[in-house]
Amino acid sequence: MSTPAVDVRDLRVQFGAVEAVRGLDLSVPPGGSTALVGRNGAGKSTTMRVLAGVIPPTAGTVLVNGYDVRAHPLDAKRQAGYCPDVGGLIPRATPWEHLQLSARLRQLPAGWDERARDLLEAFDLGAAMHRVTSGFSHGMGRRMSVLLAAFHDPQVLLLDEPFDGVDPLGVEATMNVVADARSRGAAVLISTHLLELAVQACDEAVVLRGGQVVAAAPSDQLSGETGAQSYRALLS
Amino acid sequence: MFPTSTADAPPVRPGVVTEACRSVRDVRWLIGFRVASLRGRSRRGAKIVVAVFVLLSTSAAVIPAFAPGNETSARAQDIVLLLPTLFIAFLITTTLAIVGAGGGRELLPRDEGVGFPVSPTTDHLGALLLAPLNVAWMVQAWAMFGFTAYALGPTGLWAAQLVVAIWLVTATAIGQAIAWGVEWVRRGRGGVLIVRAAGIILALGAAILVATHQVTRVFDHSPTLQVLLIALRGRDGQWLAWITGSLALTCMLLVAVCAGAWVNHAVARRQPREELKEAGRSVTPRATPPSDFAALVRTDRASVWRSVPLRRGFVVLALLPGLVSAAGRLEWAMLPILPGLVAAGGALLFGVNAWCLDSTGALWRDSLPVAPEKVFYARVRVLLEILLIAMVTALVVAGLRAGSTPTAAELASLLATTVVVSLQVVARSMHWSVRRPYAMDLKSSRGTPAPPSVMVVYSSYLALTCTLTGMVFTITAQASSPLWALLWAVPFALAAIRRIVTTAGEWGRPDVRAWVVSTVAAR
Repeated sequence: MSTPAVDVRDLRVQFGAVEAVRGLDLSVPPGGSTALVGRNGAGKSTTMRVLAGVIPPTAGTVLVNGYDVRAHPLDAKRQAGYCPDVGGLIPRATPWEHLQLSARLRQLPAGWDERARDLLEAFDLGAAMHRVTSGFSHGMGRRMSVLLAAFHDPQVLLLDEPFDGVDPLGVEATMNVVADARSRGAAVLISTHLLELAVQACDEAVVLRGGQVVAAAPSDQLSGETGAQSYRALLS
Repeated sequence: MFPTSTADAPPVRPGVVTEACRSVRDVRWLIGFRVASLRGRSRRGAKIVVAVFVLLSTSAAVIPAFAPGNETSARAQDIVLLLPTLFIAFLITTTLAIVGAGGGRELLPRDEGVGFPVSPTTDHLGALLLAPLNVAWMVQAWAMFGFTAYALGPTGLWAAQLVVAIWLVTATAIGQAIAWGVEWVRRGRGGVLIVRAAGIILALGAAILVATHQVTRVFDHSPTLQVLLIALRGRDGQWLAWITGSLALTCMLLVAVCAGAWVNHAVARRQPREELKEAGRSVTPRATPPSDFAALVRTDRASVWRSVPLRRGFVVLALLPGLVSAAGRLEWAMLPILPGLVAAGGALLFGVNAWCLDSTGALWRDSLPVAPEKVFYARVRVLLEILLIAMVTALVVAGLRAGSTPTAAELASLLATTVVVSLQVVARSMHWSVRRPYAMDLKSSRGTPAPPSVMVVYSSYLALTCTLTGMVFTITAQASSPLWALLWAVPFALAAIRRIVTTAGEWGRPDVRAWVVSTVAAR
């Protein structure tokens, strides 16, 4: 059995008196994809932020492609690509400038610009690549955030609400990015409220409630009306 | 369609008076909403600020009336002659400040209030109420109260100060109405160019007046002489004339308030062209930066220079203090005061909440593999260079009329104070940025990096510390050797550098950084 690309053991995250994540265990193998689903405040985005190295864990072990986010934060960040749940773009920078910054800080080899252009076209952002992002619509911003997360071919792709407000073509481009990542052996973790899309994109689903895992199963068990009923039962 | 018997009847719109009453009620609710959002230390801090403001205002209005030499001394007589100039100068600076801020501060930021029926009248009244929450406004107000008290003495003081108070409010209302007018023009076709051209013409006119030594003559004909005369009637017990004059001034206030509301309704019907243009702006791509640090600096610079309020604020900041100093022929020995005031103003553009430049992009930026200290020092560098550009511009403009060639001690003092206050302001700003972040949007031309009440505290602190530092170097400017200035600069600079390094260490802590990033991204 291969070493998990995402390995979370007994994760706890506390904000003052509020415990956002309470002893969460999670594992995604290389080439695997897992959906994090659950109600608002279930701890999905907090878990994603911990994996992206934005929030430190209060307790527990979090390994990103073998690197501990607490002990080796920069190495862990090099392994991951992160699309945050809100915004995710510097308002007065252009998409191209975002890509330049990422390429520079991730030490991407020459030729990164070709891949960047291909992705911009795939996400229908080619015409807007030199426009500042503050004028972007919500959907454009989401698509750009997914693009930035996937741009450097990370070993762990973290997509928080990537489908929120995105049109069908954008959803398709995101699905392609997820499929590409899996085909080259990257682990994908998607947090979303859109159950059908989660089922479509991922082969595993983890249901969170109150900062804890309440169920984990193959995602097709959540598909269709029966799956939706089971899901609702888990949330209540 | 579901036809009803009243389908064709036009909706009944409330009258002007009803709308005005509703706006006043809305302002009250919005103030209550703002106050309710203050909790714990912030609430206590706000109470202290209000108490200090009332105490200082009362002290400024009363104590000088009993100072030695009041009313009768030659100095008191000179001040009486200067009061109309001070009154008109207050009107000019207040107007410029509100124009520079795109119409002043917002009781409810536009993007937060978009779902509520906040009328332009409410917005106008809110901006008027928030206008005094500005250290320049307060200092000038205290100066006017103080000079009036000293020059006119204790007899009938309350009547004279009441006139001054009415003038302060009236001048602010006039400035606010003019600022809406400028904003209306700016939002029209070619408006930005028209406003810029008008600004250049006014600046040239002011420069010509200064160069031809006509400033005093122009100010001698200031209409604010009438304000002084009304105050003197009160002091002398000529009650009928005092009441008539005060009522006339109050009428002017009401007209200015109503005119401002009316113009702001016209402003609201026009699109903010400059901001929309900025949001749709295309940028010519440049080569990838040669280093990580250069990449971070370039991103931060772009965030500053592409922001409408930051660009406008910078221009006002770089030019206005220099022009005022030039007009007043501030001598080389006194110029060390200037860099501190410019630096304090510069930090208030964005430095006091430096991470808000990233807004919601802060989460993505923090997921990039780069040492946090490098990110921190990139922002320090950008803040420092903006302050230095503004300070050098102001000093060059002020130096044009500062008299003969400066001595070595004066030059050394200017250099020392520029370096020291830059470091002090950056140190304090970055400390606040890490300790007290706010989710603020600098997209709107009226955007500020922190809530209005917090900005008052920040501006007061920075103005006070920078002025005190500047005063130290005005003393070294009169020394026989330039070494004194450099010697004094060393401990100040080291203390500031130490604070910057300490704050960088705090920023390096993942828990602190997570809190800052999550806060500024929470929009």
